[in-house]
Amino acid sequence: MAPLAHPVVEVDRVTLRHPNALAPVLRNTSLAIQDGEFVCVVGSSGVGKSTLLRAVAGLLEPEGGAVRVHAPPASDRRHRAVVFQDSRLLPWRRVAGNVALGLKALALDKGEAEARVRDALALTGLTDFAQRWPHQLSGGQAQRVGIARALAVRPAILLMDEPFSAVDAITRKHLQDELGRIWQASGAAAVFVTHDIAEAAFLADRVVVLAGSPAGVAADIPVTVPRPRRRDSSELAAVADTIAKRLHV
Amino acid sequence: MGTLAEESARATRRSESMRWRWPQLPRRVLLGIGGVLAFIALWKASYQFEWTGAGTMPDPFLLPQTLWEEGASGRLLPAIGSSLIHYAWGLGIGTALGMAIGFAAATNAMFEDVHAYLARILRPIPPLAWVVFAIAWFQVSHAGAAFVIAIGVFWVNYFATYAAIRGVDPRYYELARAFGHGSWWRQSLTVTLPAAAPGMLSGFRTGVGQAWMALIAAELLGVPGMGQEMNSAAGVGAYEAVVIYMFAISAVYALCDFAFVHFENWVLQWRP
Repeated sequence: MAPLAHPVVEVDRVTLRHPNALAPVLRNTSLAIQDGEFVCVVGSSGVGKSTLLRAVAGLLEPEGGAVRVHAPPASDRRHRAVVFQDSRLLPWRRVAGNVALGLKALALDKGEAEARVRDALALTGLTDFAQRWPHQLSGGQAQRVGIARALAVRPAILLMDEPFSAVDAITRKHLQDELGRIWQASGAAAVFVTHDIAEAAFLADRVVVLAGSPAGVAADIPVTVPRPRRRDSSELAAVADTIAKRLHV
Repeated sequence: MGTLAEESARATRRSESMRWRWPQLPRRVLLGIGGVLAFIALWKASYQFEWTGAGTMPDPFLLPQTLWEEGASGRLLPAIGSSLIHYAWGLGIGTALGMAIGFAAATNAMFEDVHAYLARILRPIPPLAWVVFAIAWFQVSHAGAAFVIAIGVFWVNYFATYAAIRGVDPRYYELARAFGHGSWWRQSLTVTLPAAAPGMLSGFRTGVGQAWMALIAAELLGVPGMGQEMNSAAGVGAYEAVVIYMFAISAVYALCDFAFVHFENWVLQWRP
């Protein structure tokens, strides 16, 4: 096995507990995300996938262990950016204003910030929607704005919490295709939480299966199918099968 | 031949009915005017037949003339101006303090605890009960009237702001933290204020109305303004003049509310 050359995020024996919960939801969980890698985290609902993602994002302090980010310090980018399950756009900001949300805290001049917003909108196919209000968007468009907002801060790692679970099946396939392209263009590593096995197999370089209570990494399955991938390929079906078996579905 | 003529007649009617469609609005306007006319007729009848006792009911038909006289006497416009000064100061100070303290109470746990009992003790005191101290501290002056107004407006805005901020979806704060808006200041500007704006503005609008009510009450004490003019007109039985000031109050309030609604629509243009 190749040595772990450049882990961009290291989850080191992390124990996490929901607020006011008696038992931890995750115990001694370790995980390393390599630079530029796309990792999907799957598991049954309530197993702690989103909790793990929040800890990786720095939004939740682990009870034990540590989350370490290995990226050169920079004032013009955020190391981690999150795409939430609900698109979570600020309804009082136009699309462009939402995409610019993370730029305020960065050391960017106005022109650079505007260019970032433009680039992120272009990459997500939203250029014509810059001046729309969030309530004027469809669910899929709103989710794309959420992705653009995360990309605008040029993250080393993009953290996504079931971002496509609330959109219809057709839009969802479309967004999966686009996400593959966007992720490759961005050069960021990605952690993508989902409960959809086919989605995980289609998107990931590696699928991490969370299981147990408290949960831990039950399996770590590499997906070596070359990109661009076809949904109906037999190799992907085989990967999905392996994941399903490890999930005991 | 008959059918052809009928057909063309029907077509004409149809195209006419397209041109002359009576939409909802004129009907509503007519009914509205009807309501006002019925009110005036009832009023005139009660004047004519002295239902409320002789000499106590103003004659609605004398109002245009009275309006002219009040305007020409140089009392009406200065009274409106003076009232607007009390109004603007009272509303401005009461709103600013109410929003600021409501904001602090809703976002700072310690401040909330410190002021909780105090708010419960002071809140039930009607603004007009403060008139005694308004006179003691400010004498019969513009400041005294503004003070009484400000107290009423303060509580309305305080509670509206507090409730609006407490109702902000906590997921927005998580979002703010995830994108580098972690500090109290940043969160206040990015999330709290815009998210609470609809509730705060609706409190402000209630205050706009409440301030008017307190204004007239405060001026009845003798501070120059429309309330005082009403009082002195009533003293000499000039009830038509009293009515003129009542309608002046109504008109100025309607203008304020109209301006406010436009302001609100502009600030909250992001709402669906």
